[in-house]
Amino acid sequence: MALIRAGLQRLANVFSGAQAGVLSRFATHLAPIESKSVPQTTKDVIAECNNLIEKNASRNFAIVHLLGKQWRVTDGDLLVIEGFWPPTIGDKIKLDKVLLAGTKDFSLIGRPLVQPGLVEVIATVISKGLSHTRTHFKKKRRKQYMRINFQRAPQTILRINSVEIASKINEAPKNVF
Amino acid sequence: MSAKHMFLKPGFVRAPLQNGIGRYVCQLQRIVLKFCKSNGASRGMRDFIEQDLVDFAKVNPGVVVYLKPRRHRGPVVVAEYLNGDRVWMSVHNKTHAEITKWIEVLRTQQGNNASTRLRKYQYTDHPSIQGPWTPFTHKLPELNTAELPNPAFGANNRLPMSATEQLRLMFEAQKLGEKSDDLKTAE
Repeated sequence: MALIRAGLQRLANVFSGAQAGVLSRFATHLAPIESKSVPQTTKDVIAECNNLIEKNASRNFAIVHLLGKQWRVTDGDLLVIEGFWPPTIGDKIKLDKVLLAGTKDFSLIGRPLVQPGLVEVIATVISKGLSHTRTHFKKKRRKQYMRINFQRAPQTILRINSVEIASKINEAPKNVF
Repeated sequence: MSAKHMFLKPGFVRAPLQNGIGRYVCQLQRIVLKFCKSNGASRGMRDFIEQDLVDFAKVNPGVVVYLKPRRHRGPVVVAEYLNGDRVWMSVHNKTHAEITKWIEVLRTQQGNNASTRLRKYQYTDHPSIQGPWTPFTHKLPELNTAELPNPAFGANNRLPMSATEQLRLMFEAQKLGEKSDDLKTAE
């Protein structure tokens, strides 16, 4: 009996859970847009985050997609990017593919990217050189097989100048591109 | 044949004098081109000097360029950097195009990159901004005062719903007979 009761309770939760029951989801989908109201807590949280952004309360960080890799960057970081990449020394670059940005107290998670223009990551190209010589050595015993190759990959060193949350959260996006 | 890089000095990414934080400073300070006026091995070097060197010096006013002709000796490029590194490079029998590319590499790099094997490809002064993760981050504060072992905190709620449980739920839904059609259209 107790088992069945527990099951029933779980079922009731599925249908009308406090946050996202199946029925509640339908209800919100069916409701007209005008009557949809943003809950007060959401408003409070967004206002608090905007307040923190305005005060520039703490250091920001961002996760940036660059040449197939994801880097967690903050002000003053150095990145070494391997492979051919056109920018030359002294270039100031805005890194636009921001996957996530955050401060000490909150994070903005992109789906997959944060809204364009919201987060500004600016970097300077410091150095473009070659890596140390890497040896690729292959040998198979008793098979008269040996290959040796040497290679040096192009390396670009980037200095992250600033990670800034440029505009307010929940504002209409500016047309940046 | 060569396992030289295994014994290379390992190092971390650094930039001399906070380069790039305020403004960027070209790290190449001095470049010496040594060549022979008659030897064939210096042919490419002589071509470079005749065609490109003046432009190179004009474009890079911060770089001091020296020419050092010497009889019957191989052509060499020596670059000196702001951090004290000195890169010596033989350009024996290299063509004009190759020399142009190598000098571009010497100009843009920030020191002798070949001498160190990088152990990390990122450097940061602030490894964590929201605090490093511990087993207690995002846990309920009641856990601090709870007496352990505790059935409420020790319960294994991470297992997926078993088939038996699912069947029982379906059975109960059927018995209830309330809006079982909605369940089908959920996804």
